[in-house]
Amino acid sequence: MQLLDPTAETEPVRRTRRAPPEKIAGLRVGLLDISKPRGNIFLDRIESRLAAEGVAVTRYRKPTFTRPAPAELAHKIASEVDLVIEGLAD
Amino acid sequence: MDAGRVTGVTDGFVLVAKRDCPTCVLVAPAVAEISRGSRPIAVYSQDDPAFPDGLPGVRDDRTLEASFRLKIETVPTLIRVEGGREVGRLVGWERNEWRAFTGLNALGEDLPEWRPGCGSKSVEPGVPDELELRYGDVSFQARTIEVAEGDDEVEAMYSRGWSDGLPLVPPTKLRVHRMLKGTTRDPKEVLGLLPPDLRPITVEKVAINAVMAGCAPEYLPVVLAAVEAALMEPFALHGVLATTMFCGPIAIVNGPIARRIGMNARGNALGQGNRANATIGRALQLCVRNVGGGRPQGVDRSTLGQPGKLGFCFAEDEEGSAWSSLAEDRGFTRDANTVTLFAGDSPHGIVDQQSRTPESLARSFALSLRSVNHWKLAQAADAILVVCPEHERTFKAAGWDKARLRAELDGLLKLPAAEIVRGAGGIAEGVPAAALAERDHVPKFRPGGLLIVRAGGGAGMFSAVIAGWAAAGSVGSSPVTCAIRD
Amino acid sequence: MASSEFTQATEAQAQSLGFEPGVVYVPHPIQDRTDEEMRALADQAYEQVLALIRRVG
Repeated sequence: MQLLDPTAETEPVRRTRRAPPEKIAGLRVGLLDISKPRGNIFLDRIESRLAAEGVAVTRYRKPTFTRPAPAELAHKIASEVDLVIEGLAD
Repeated sequence: MDAGRVTGVTDGFVLVAKRDCPTCVLVAPAVAEISRGSRPIAVYSQDDPAFPDGLPGVRDDRTLEASFRLKIETVPTLIRVEGGREVGRLVGWERNEWRAFTGLNALGEDLPEWRPGCGSKSVEPGVPDELELRYGDVSFQARTIEVAEGDDEVEAMYSRGWSDGLPLVPPTKLRVHRMLKGTTRDPKEVLGLLPPDLRPITVEKVAINAVMAGCAPEYLPVVLAAVEAALMEPFALHGVLATTMFCGPIAIVNGPIARRIGMNARGNALGQGNRANATIGRALQLCVRNVGGGRPQGVDRSTLGQPGKLGFCFAEDEEGSAWSSLAEDRGFTRDANTVTLFAGDSPHGIVDQQSRTPESLARSFALSLRSVNHWKLAQAADAILVVCPEHERTFKAAGWDKARLRAELDGLLKLPAAEIVRGAGGIAEGVPAAALAERDHVPKFRPGGLLIVRAGGGAGMFSAVIAGWAAAGSVGSSPVTCAIRD
Repeated sequence: MASSEFTQATEAQAQSLGFEPGVVYVPHPIQDRTDEEMRALADQAYEQVLALIRRVG
């Protein structure tokens, strides 16, 4: 469906991400495992690298990689962490 | 577009027909006869390329593109083309006419003398707009936003931040095209620079937001006037938006247009249930949000806001009113169509079911008017007094017009300085002593600061006060009235 | 984070959702890597991840 833009068109059509924080030490980062095999090994390593920088990490798992994350999982992540990294798609 | 360019026929005939038309079926043999003649005939079928049966070379016009370009309204239509130009057309079947037109003197010998045609598929309800969009000269300035197939367009609009919290009508090109037919104004016309971002707002952008709000095309002139009113310098839209106080723009419509577009000036006029009331005010606020860039947690810093900021619009009840209308009060004629824009809060109800005299009722009104913003503040805000029909009847019976009521209220609203000064009554708020100077009394409202309108259902002795922004006049916002143009 | 096989899919999804992605690609294939190789891929990708989650300058 095509919609006509109701705004003043000062933003690009493809929206940019929110600006990341200046420091991550002291923030909480979520690692969302999409549940493809071997992905957990990869994320374990990311986790230990982040921890070494003073970042608290919470691990999450999608029930299956074949579907988008369930709404409750998304809400949980949004309320528990400041940033989220998701992987590993292959 | 020239018939010749549309059809490729330079000298000959063009016929447009559909199978689902008894007259078209009837004249099929006559069409076949014409096709055997010396001049070519291009035959277009609107619904079935196999019709007329047995006729070779029928052109498939199920897209209705040719019918649109040839401006067909009835089928069958027979067009004569000479030198690539249309020189005449017949609609329906009339044997003598067709014979003279084609020069075939024995045409349709076995057919009845005449039969009326049927409606062309290209003018069925809703179809002309779609054809105009597809084949006509329609273009839009606004860029298009793609919503992927399978995605929910309502969710997509929420995700892009276009919404005031309630769902929006998706502004497709067809909807906006239809909306723009509600005005004769040029879609490219720039109404002004809309605060707070001071972006140009065109008629087209207003139409897009009006579609999203749920407006019907006939409301568009009112929405445009409301936007123009909001752009007027004395209204101070930026301040109205940015304040920490409660106010939002309130649009009051006067004139015959209110009835024509089905606005509600009667029962529940300030409430829900009427499409025009609900969507016109909403469209203005969506423009402020989406074009002006003004939104809560952004430039809009209102501490509490109020529900009317979703949209607040109603029509004054002028029918059967003994009083001058708000438009007349503000210098327009009674038959003028106007929008008056007021920066105001939510209504505060006045329950007075006992007063039988205008004096008693006026005192009730004065008590509520006194509490605008704060009992102890004066000369800060304007206000609107919405008088319901049953209350207006009390004044009418005593022969009081608006001016008489206003004079009475002015007298009742001279606030004693000793009561309103800061600290009086153990309340720190109030008018600073220095501002009171040596006065004994201070009028609650500045001259002209009290607007009186009539609205509401026939049953119920319940009027209302709408407080204005505690920054009226040159320090803040003044009510403005704008004529509604078609 | 996705393997390099996903560049087109990521682009298509970004287009249809109307969002710029924050994406880091790692070289394909993934499934037949040893644990050591997986950790090495993570180490290689880590700086790019940091660049997306922490503002520079």
